[in-house]
Amino acid sequence: MNKLTLWGIIFAVLMLGLTWLSIGGSKGGLNDDIVNMLAVAGAIALVVISVFVVIKYVRQMQNDTATGKLADKNWDGIGEYKNELPAGWAFIFLGTMVWGMWYFLVGYPVNAYSQIGEYNQDTAAHNAKFEAKYANMDGTALVDMGEAVFLAECKVCHGLTADGIDGKAANLNQRLEAVVVKNVLVNGSNNKLLGFEFPMPTGTDLGLSASDIDEISAYIGNGLNGNEPAMFGVCAGCHGAQGEGLDGVGPQLNGFNNTLVTNILTYGKKGAIGTMPKFADRLNAKQIEAASAYVTSLSK
Amino acid sequence: MFHWLEKHPFFFAVGVFVTIAFAGLIEIVPNFAEASRPSIGTKPYTTLELAGRHVYIKNSCNACHSQLIRPFKAETDRYGDYSLSGEYAYDRPFLWGSKRTGPDLMRVGNYRTTDWHENHMRDPRSVVPGSIMPAYAWLFENSADVDTAYAEQVTVRDFFSVPYNQEIPMKDGSKETVVLADTLAGAQASALEEAKLVAADMKDKSVQDAVSAGQIPEIVALIAYMNSLK
Repeated sequence: MNKLTLWGIIFAVLMLGLTWLSIGGSKGGLNDDIVNMLAVAGAIALVVISVFVVIKYVRQMQNDTATGKLADKNWDGIGEYKNELPAGWAFIFLGTMVWGMWYFLVGYPVNAYSQIGEYNQDTAAHNAKFEAKYANMDGTALVDMGEAVFLAECKVCHGLTADGIDGKAANLNQRLEAVVVKNVLVNGSNNKLLGFEFPMPTGTDLGLSASDIDEISAYIGNGLNGNEPAMFGVCAGCHGAQGEGLDGVGPQLNGFNNTLVTNILTYGKKGAIGTMPKFADRLNAKQIEAASAYVTSLSK
Repeated sequence: MFHWLEKHPFFFAVGVFVTIAFAGLIEIVPNFAEASRPSIGTKPYTTLELAGRHVYIKNSCNACHSQLIRPFKAETDRYGDYSLSGEYAYDRPFLWGSKRTGPDLMRVGNYRTTDWHENHMRDPRSVVPGSIMPAYAWLFENSADVDTAYAEQVTVRDFFSVPYNQEIPMKDGSKETVVLADTLAGAQASALEEAKLVAADMKDKSVQDAVSAGQIPEIVALIAYMNSLK
């Protein structure tokens, strides 16, 4: 055994010893841990193969002499052997040329890719899938979807249970609270709840006294239950005798409906509590329909 | 020529530099100039909004909130349209952020309101259960620094030609003008007018009293800034 092999073996043992220490010292060690075992097997293979390959080439450097036919030309005394290009290299070289042409002309022509283009494709594909899957959705499935939309977009203001978080937003578990009705009767309203500008006059303009306003607010806030105030007829003219709403004249007062919620989501609104932003840019038509179904279901 | 270059490595290096720099110039500069032009609908900040932006930076909001919406469906669903480079034309410095501990705020003005910010800044968990955002109660007491905001406006107008008092094209084809006062007193007055509009939508009595008394609490400036993010 010569000196080189001896050094190789010493080096290999040293490396394997370090591997053993670091694996054995780590959590779990080698006990039934397949990843650690594989790592050790890999380390042994790497160290052994590397040591023997290095020994082979060091030997070759020590002993080999160059042979072969020299080229005729030499450069300042430096010559070159006439070696054939290995066939594998030649084929790979030609192959890269072909691949290069494919890459530039077919695979990825100049400007064929953009981030925004990929985004547009993704979005179109998603919308098509959404459309195909949910176009005819209704009933409880629609309400469930509405709940998901509500939890994603609405709950930050209206709260997880849609109670408006102690008056921070409208309580959606009932159509109208007395304070909201009173605010509308005192200040009037123009919130595009019908889908277009159609302002509601103030209570004073409608000929209601302060006590009428209080009575009507309490009555509507109570879900139109209890004794109907004498002056409710003023409201019924536009909102219907039971507050069921009249198309294009006055929105429903005794419950939510799809048109009403859709208009609120489309145009936003400003009322007694504060401003509600519009959500038309953030939700698609089906999601708005679903949210309407969910909100409507809350107060039923 | 080439023999000469081979014998003079300094001039060879200069030649290489010029060649590569020329390629860079014709490829990078036109694109860069185009992309850094303000997008249609991007306006410079008003005095109060800029004061709010300073509050935003001072409280290090950008450490947890990014202002950059990437073009992914999951992201545009949540935050709105993806960001364009021209939308940052008047942001000095930009506040892209690099980590989202909280949500992106690039377009928060589209889906949050003055009174929501008011509730949220005072007690984040009152509106978002489980939020890890700290409360920022001192914003309701400290006064916003309108003077510095005005100084920055004048500086960017003079050095970077930010178009104050000029017509700016909006997305719907209309034109809007962001007014910059001629004097500091004028800027303070216009910031107060803006603050009154914000405070009118707020519930906090002390904030409203302060604004009526001619002061601008930091929260008002910050909300004005948030509402301008669209």
